[in-house]
Amino acid sequence: MKKRLATLAALVTLTPLTLAACGDDSPPANATVDSLTLLDYYSDEPTNSLVQALVDKCGTAIGTKINRTAVPGPSLIQKVLQQASSKTLPDVLMLDNPDIQQIAATGALAPLGDYGIKTDGYAEGPVSAATYKGKLYGLQPAANTIGIFYNKDVLTKAGVTPPTTWDELKSTAKKLTTGDQYGFAFNATADFEGAWQFLPPMWTNGGDETKLKDPQVAEALALWKDLVDSGVSSKSVVTWGQGDVNDQFIAGKAAMMLNGPWNIPAIDKAKVNFGVVSFPVNKAGQTSTAPLGGEAWTVPQTGNKAKMSKAAEFVKCMNSDENQMQRAKDGGLVPTKLALADKFKTEVPSMAGFVDAVAHARARTGKLGEKWPDTAKVIYTGMQLVLTGQAAPADAMAKAGA
Amino acid sequence: MSARRPRAAIRTAVALVLLALMLFPVYWMLNISLQPSGNTLSGTFFPTDPTLAGYRTAFQDQGRNLVTSLLVASGTVVVTLLVSTPCAYALAQFRFRWISWALLALLISQMIPGIVIANALYTLYERLGVLNSVPGLIVANAANAIPFGILILRSFMLGVPPSIVEAARVDGAGPIRSLVSVVVPISRNALITVGLFAFLFAWSDFIFALTLTTKGTVVPVTLGIYTYLGAHVDNWSAVMATAVLACIPAVILLVVAQKYIAAGATGGAVK
Amino acid sequence: MTKTTSPASARSTGRRGEEITKILFVVPAAVAIVVLFGYPVVKNLVMSFQDYTLATFFTGEAPWVGLQNFATVVGDALFTKALVNTALFTAGSIAGQFAIGLALALFFHRNFPLNRVVRALFLLPWLMPLIVGSAAWRAVLEQDSGILNVTLERLGIIDSPVPWLASSDVALVSVILVNIWLGIPFNLTLLYSGLQDIPEELYEAAALDGATGWRSFRYITWPNLREVVGIVLMLGVIYTLKVIDIILGLTHGGPANATETIATQSYERSFVEFKFGQGAALSNILIVISLAFAILYLRATRRRIDE
Repeated sequence: MKKRLATLAALVTLTPLTLAACGDDSPPANATVDSLTLLDYYSDEPTNSLVQALVDKCGTAIGTKINRTAVPGPSLIQKVLQQASSKTLPDVLMLDNPDIQQIAATGALAPLGDYGIKTDGYAEGPVSAATYKGKLYGLQPAANTIGIFYNKDVLTKAGVTPPTTWDELKSTAKKLTTGDQYGFAFNATADFEGAWQFLPPMWTNGGDETKLKDPQVAEALALWKDLVDSGVSSKSVVTWGQGDVNDQFIAGKAAMMLNGPWNIPAIDKAKVNFGVVSFPVNKAGQTSTAPLGGEAWTVPQTGNKAKMSKAAEFVKCMNSDENQMQRAKDGGLVPTKLALADKFKTEVPSMAGFVDAVAHARARTGKLGEKWPDTAKVIYTGMQLVLTGQAAPADAMAKAGA
Repeated sequence: MSARRPRAAIRTAVALVLLALMLFPVYWMLNISLQPSGNTLSGTFFPTDPTLAGYRTAFQDQGRNLVTSLLVASGTVVVTLLVSTPCAYALAQFRFRWISWALLALLISQMIPGIVIANALYTLYERLGVLNSVPGLIVANAANAIPFGILILRSFMLGVPPSIVEAARVDGAGPIRSLVSVVVPISRNALITVGLFAFLFAWSDFIFALTLTTKGTVVPVTLGIYTYLGAHVDNWSAVMATAVLACIPAVILLVVAQKYIAAGATGGAVK
Repeated sequence: MTKTTSPASARSTGRRGEEITKILFVVPAAVAIVVLFGYPVVKNLVMSFQDYTLATFFTGEAPWVGLQNFATVVGDALFTKALVNTALFTAGSIAGQFAIGLALALFFHRNFPLNRVVRALFLLPWLMPLIVGSAAWRAVLEQDSGILNVTLERLGIIDSPVPWLASSDVALVSVILVNIWLGIPFNLTLLYSGLQDIPEELYEAAALDGATGWRSFRYITWPNLREVVGIVLMLGVIYTLKVIDIILGLTHGGPANATETIATQSYERSFVEFKFGQGAALSNILIVISLAFAILYLRATRRRIDE
């Protein structure tokens, strides 16, 4: 009885492993394709329906049915890995731009250049994020970044203008810190979000992710530290996500915040009169640089040549001028084609601040490629060490493992 | 007799205060669900401007998901109890030489992180074609709860006096009969408690719901909540409203179940 | 049992039939456990000796590296801190949950109006998805406007707001307190059921002998409750060692790694940094720690059965 049990158990546990080895059949590249599978993380409303509309539109345009699955944001990569190991990757895969190079490095994605996809006229950030070892693996239709939102009414009442330098940021915030209201709010949590929010001061000041121990990075850390120590920012920034920061801003508990355009619908709903400026510079001559946000469409290597080339057509369609504009207007994003972005600026003046920022936005994986996540960890650890007073800006990054 | 009345009333009062302390975060969830902007930052004890918008959204979207969760959770209770009870009885009353090893295996199964199990199950389910199915979720949740059920039931069954079982055997009952007619009624408290926890594990499970569904056809409510939690934007009032709505059927079941955990299940049996 | 054949052979057939029936009691559970837990346990163990990365999922290659993963994770600067945090978190949580759970179980052991309803409602925290629970607690523990600080200040208990989650010194305590809150329903319900199983007659007989209150607890309640206490503590330790959702939801392991435990480190290594081999190594270290407790428990329970 026990021996039989053991055999049965072994069979059941080994079956998935052996079946996984059974191969794939590959119809010729010009076979007709009835349907494509697609995976993305736009599982929340209203984004879900808006993206579905665009997906259906492109499906019709290329003459193929698209079977779309949307999963919650944090679980996308997990799903991708599960599908990779069971050899059931989708035909079209959406990836957040900092993840593209990591996945491309595993050989799971097809170079889009093979399908005649070119990036002429695109902003630099999205292209560098999706390029691994000289080949393009993803095409991003729209992008966002972060900038300084300010409450126009509060600033006018206090008689101050939005800051353009770090000194102005500190002094303006100080004037705006009264009662319940902090002058400035930002996110400094121990995760990739916190690292992302630290990039504007770091990059604007000339700091580089490959040289974290340099003084320019220490100066950026000192800025974050000064803001909290001087009381213009709450100590709770180490616990607030970007959503919490927005809640603070809307509730009138922060006069200015560092955040992105996805918050605009909520801000409008709360009837806050807001304005946006790029992140201030430290010294004259520096350019405000913010990190690139947004997702790209990629074509996984499924072994089915016909489907892969149809998928590439789909990716091209999602990046057409019309669809880029639509996606940007729907999602509070900026088109990645520079000419379109200029046109967008005139059509949606409230996003003007972000259009300029996106044109200069820098990809997180631009220099480090698949090594970015390790560096991001060092960045947010160093930042938190400084904000909790456990390290001085000068040696925090070293302490964090730089 | 009359002296007992005020004492009982005091106990009730204390119980309610303790409950209030315990449920404060749940109350907070209710508070946020009634806030117009779903801002998690209200400093006020009561929603000053209550709105049912979150509830309307939740009701429209999540009704089907609530039913799914109920089906999965109920199924889990049934399967868990059916499988754990005989096994717990065997490990408590029979003299197998390998009991310690069995217990060790059960304990080890509880040490594995849920996400490791879910990932392994994904491959198995994908091959068997049972992804996106309610029975699939029931089996996964039950398998997760069964070791827990066996360990808890066994601990309770160890307290069943052997004399009772002996009495039944003397009367000619075989092992199955002893279990069903004698041990099960005596272990009523334990069975209900395990059933309760099996329900709770399955109801609040997120990791299996996320991993073992791919298409959005079968969506337990813990996964359905993510309709309101985007990669960037969160609609907390809808999230909290969903959580509140999801609590209601479960609470009803819990109150009913607690009724049956009465004292003295063992008492009288020895006689 | 029908006795048509000779008594001796009938008895032996009957006994064999009974032996098979007894084994069948265990078979469904055994199959379920081997099938659903066997593969993950083995895979997790093997993975800790391999260089299992993101690429492995796509290429299937995972070169054998022996004990290197273990060396890397143990040698990591954060390991000692995570280990200490794990010990503190587990000890603090179990002590708090068990003591409060037992006290509440004893409290509810008497009849009073609404006893049933209140006890059922105590399980409400387990009905909330953890993402909701941690969002609610983050709002409550918020330093500036969180209701806990506001209440404590109004009551005059503290002068300035406590940085519950924002300070590296306090964050671990906060996380332990929330975990205690989370664990109370589990302890309360199981211990209460255990108490209810103790026959009334024992108490009545003891009362006749003059043993009430503390003495009846010590000589009647505690000995009869020991099995249930044993399994509650054992499972409590195993489950607490595994906890990640509430910690990650409240603090992401911060501020500055103040709330990192072996479990959160294991999760982060695997699912954030994609170094699955190292993550598996850490989770296996945790399993070894759990095993030590499990062996202690098994020794104790076997001794009790043999008595």
